[in-house]
Amino acid sequence: MINIELLKETLKCLSFIKNINEINCEDSIIRGSIVILFDGLESSLNFRFEIYPPYPLKYHGSESIKFYNEDLISINHVMQDGSICIHNSHNTDLKQKILMDFDSLKQWIQKYYIDKENDLNYEHIVVEEGLVDENYYSYIFTDISHTFSEGDFGKVDIFPLNNAFYKDKVIQNFLVQKFVFNKSKIPCKWNSHYSNIQASEFGLFYFLDKHPAKMNKFILNNWVEFQGLVSNVFLNYLHQFEKKFLTNSKGNILPLFFGYRTVNNEIHWQVALIKIGAFPIKGEAEILLGIKTGKWNTKLISSDIQWALVRDSSYKYFFGRGTIDKSITESKILIIGLGAIGSMVAKTLTRGGCKYIDIVDYDIKEPENVCRSEYLFQSGLCDKVREIESLLIAISPFIEVTIIKKEYFELIAKMLYKDMESRSHLIANLNEYDIVFDCTTDNDLMHILEIFELTGQIINMSITNHAQELVCAFSPNIYNFVNTQFSEILNNDLEDLYEPTGCWNPTFKASYNDINTLVQFAIKHINNIYKNSKEKNNFVIGTNADELTLEIKEY
Amino acid sequence: MDISKHDYLEKVLESHKMKHVSDFVSKHKTKRDEIKSELQSNYTGKIYVPINSGSYAKHTAINIKFDLDIIVPFKRDAFETLEEMFDSVYDFLYEKYKDKATVRKQKVSIGLEFYPDEDGEVINLDIVPGRELNQDKYLEDKKLNLYVNTLYGVLKEKTYIQTNIQAQIDHITAKENERKKIRLLKAWKHHNRETYKSFLLELLVIKAFDQANIDGNLWEKLKKTMEYIQNNVNQEGFTLKDPGNSGNNVIDTLNTNERQKLSDTMKRIIENIEANDDNIKIYFPINEKFEETDTQRGYGIKTASASVSIPPNNTRFGL
Repeated sequence: MINIELLKETLKCLSFIKNINEINCEDSIIRGSIVILFDGLESSLNFRFEIYPPYPLKYHGSESIKFYNEDLISINHVMQDGSICIHNSHNTDLKQKILMDFDSLKQWIQKYYIDKENDLNYEHIVVEEGLVDENYYSYIFTDISHTFSEGDFGKVDIFPLNNAFYKDKVIQNFLVQKFVFNKSKIPCKWNSHYSNIQASEFGLFYFLDKHPAKMNKFILNNWVEFQGLVSNVFLNYLHQFEKKFLTNSKGNILPLFFGYRTVNNEIHWQVALIKIGAFPIKGEAEILLGIKTGKWNTKLISSDIQWALVRDSSYKYFFGRGTIDKSITESKILIIGLGAIGSMVAKTLTRGGCKYIDIVDYDIKEPENVCRSEYLFQSGLCDKVREIESLLIAISPFIEVTIIKKEYFELIAKMLYKDMESRSHLIANLNEYDIVFDCTTDNDLMHILEIFELTGQIINMSITNHAQELVCAFSPNIYNFVNTQFSEILNNDLEDLYEPTGCWNPTFKASYNDINTLVQFAIKHINNIYKNSKEKNNFVIGTNADELTLEIKEY
Repeated sequence: MDISKHDYLEKVLESHKMKHVSDFVSKHKTKRDEIKSELQSNYTGKIYVPINSGSYAKHTAINIKFDLDIIVPFKRDAFETLEEMFDSVYDFLYEKYKDKATVRKQKVSIGLEFYPDEDGEVINLDIVPGRELNQDKYLEDKKLNLYVNTLYGVLKEKTYIQTNIQAQIDHITAKENERKKIRLLKAWKHHNRETYKSFLLELLVIKAFDQANIDGNLWEKLKKTMEYIQNNVNQEGFTLKDPGNSGNNVIDTLNTNERQKLSDTMKRIIENIEANDDNIKIYFPINEKFEETDTQRGYGIKTASASVSIPPNNTRFGL
């Protein structure tokens, strides 16, 4: 707990603090105010401050000291309550921390109040998330291939994702699927899975000419502030809409989407939540020259707006924090074999931003597969392809996943590869892929794929027992390399195998961590090869004796 | 590795020898002689005696990939144009063999791929028509102009190429040391699916022996040959003269990146083998089909010889 006297003594060291007003402590929060003046500042500025008990440590990732000046809310990085948004430096020494934090305030004054600097990055308008009947609501949208104009309005098809907890309250999450405007459907650019789900709910949208914000940063919080921003035609439409649905849907929440353009002409949406039967509108008689015309217009009334949470989940932002190289993410990929390695490859590529992954495996997922692959216990026994498909779609709303028939390789390719006509059909099919990951450990298939001489890149991955090494080979030189590695070079322990109960089917021993460490390293190396257009040399990743360092050897 | 790299490479060479496929080669020879005879009959007065070429004639063949080519030298006045010569030979061979083989025009040759015989074996022969450069001078200077089929030609404007096949053959004659290294590099090329032209590798090896001090046992010689390639192939000004046409610098068939890649590859091979002798098996594998019989191993069966109660030694994991 900070000592007030220490605080006062420390602040006296700062020459730009001209006056320290009364400082008190109530409910373990220290409150006070200061007057600041320094060269370049025309007149002094008053700031309140609050210091919370964790000080000098952060609390929930935020500073535990706050500065306020309600007169400065038009300045950059001042919130609606007058608090100044400052990112301070870390220091556990109380006195040093006080000096640094108050000095940060001075720097903020210099940068944003005196120099009036504008940050280069776009900042979304500040929205206070509202609760409706103790529930939060969220709406996730993505890009569309359409440009709306001011005053355009229509219907928005949405469907629920799932309910969860958000700040200890129930949150109802919705995905924005498409806009219906002038009788045409404008789909959001989700993958076919999310695009084809039957939308069970809907909202309305209105496209604005400018941000629905005060000072260009605080969202409007009373409906009357929208008067003049939305057209009378739309307000009348709202009135008719409410009348139509009042009987059967009274009390239902209607999300009202307000769209506007941000940087690079991108569209952003804010969603106001209104209840049918309680729309913030009223009828007003039209008067011309003091005489009622007999017509009625719809006007907005004064009431608070409940704003929902809205997230732009377009591909650019969804994967904005990191993807693998575009030459891979844009590729049409086939993954054969969804065991430990294959499932990890599939999941990693999906989280890396890949858009087209086809999968094939004839096998069933058993409970004992879960410990060292990407499968879940919860789903019980199931076809591996089905669970991986669900998993990939659950991760990314942009991935297209197609399941290839389980007999495609196991029966069709193996039976017909010697028949030249059938072979040419198989090759033509497989040539549609840019990259084929063979994670089957099937030597027969490895041989067949090699003689097919596909135009796309085959990448073959397998490991030795105990995940001591991972062998990765690129077409056209796979079969000889991989076989020689396993039979002649690597010390593949075939004695210490795991013997499941039941029929004879020994398998290797290695944990999820053992395997995934190698798989991630391999994918990182492959990504580096694609990113820098390097030679695709076969490689082996080995763990050294202490198993704490990995070594990659290219061949 | 149980044996020295020298002994291992001797086994590699042994397993790739043509003697293991002598019956198959005989079939090729019979067919080759038949075609030569047919051509001489058909073009009487216009043709010189066809000569054998390709890796088999040069003694650089390995049994996983070998060529028995026929060079067909025509007199200068036999045809108005090289294209006419090429088309005439194609038409003749097509009519003669269309029911027995696929006959197709290739870059400088006509390829004959005979349908599988009773043993299921397929005979491939390339027939290269050439016209003497100067009337009645072929027997003296051996110079020929070959027609370059533009459909395949990389030389967009040029539709012919001057060569001297005999000089190319003579260039490698009586060079058994070089031929061993050529055969090893060809084994590397085929087993590792490299795309370098065999002719390029041949010339590189011969130049290495000519320019560098290549001595020691088989591995040491191979290593020094590869070091020569590593150190020189990417150098500006490095030339590789075609013995059949001094104006043709064969290294120009590779661009700068490809030359650097070849240098890097040679470096990597040497480093990996020096780090672990067993890695030699990756780059220079024994042709298992013809591996020498000993007490442990028999022809054709190797990794599959595991007991049924334990997984075979090439078992891979990851599923």
